[in-house]
Amino acid sequence: MSEADNSSNDRVELTRSRIVAESYISHVRTPADGAIVAFDGCVRNHSHGRRTLYLEYEAYEPMALEKMREISVQLHEKFAIDRVAVVHRLGRLEIGETSVFIAVSAAHRAPAFEACRWAIDTLKRTVPIWKKEFFEDGAVWAEGELPPPPGAAPSVKSAS
Amino acid sequence: MPVTTAKVLFFGRLKELVGVSEDAYELRDGAAIEQIFAHYAARCPQLAAFRSSVVASRNHEFASWETPVHSGDEVAFLPPVSGG
Repeated sequence: MSEADNSSNDRVELTRSRIVAESYISHVRTPADGAIVAFDGCVRNHSHGRRTLYLEYEAYEPMALEKMREISVQLHEKFAIDRVAVVHRLGRLEIGETSVFIAVSAAHRAPAFEACRWAIDTLKRTVPIWKKEFFEDGAVWAEGELPPPPGAAPSVKSAS
Repeated sequence: MPVTTAKVLFFGRLKELVGVSEDAYELRDGAAIEQIFAHYAARCPQLAAFRSSVVASRNHEFASWETPVHSGDEVAFLPPVSGG
């Protein structure tokens, strides 16, 4: 199959609704797979020692979707995987809710684990989404990561 | 000297500093993204202070500050990303 065929079954989304993990896991599950690895990024109740009340996410939506699709295409180039599902939620999120969910299926577990890790690390560095943290005494934009310079191949540094 | 209009977008804390999320900016066709940022930074010194941590994009692709801007281009100024 061509690369386009490989990523054409992937599901890449932004949503303002609650993320239902099972829907994305089901999407990547096919009879050819022996493993599915999923990452569930959720809203933590503290940040740098302060109690977090809730978060708000905003995105440069068309560019964010393009960057997320690029990640899914790159996953097929780099790892022996089957399907990818990646979704990021926007708007107000409460403690414990899922902000980002990634599921990767593969015939064998090793590439599924590696691809899922690469996907979330790359998303956090290259997709134009921003998080504002609301505390009892104010709100701050989260310290973010600088995307790689234009033209540079995405690489993964140690995850934050 | 042909004049062109670019759509300019600000996100995150930059949007709050500049006070708008979207603007239209007239410039000489082919002028650099840097020139657009300088225009807003002159009006908003706090924006200028963020220059080293801002990344620009043109038409949804990360772009260097020297990238020329043409008619109908969409230029965005992006603070460090913090999704996930």
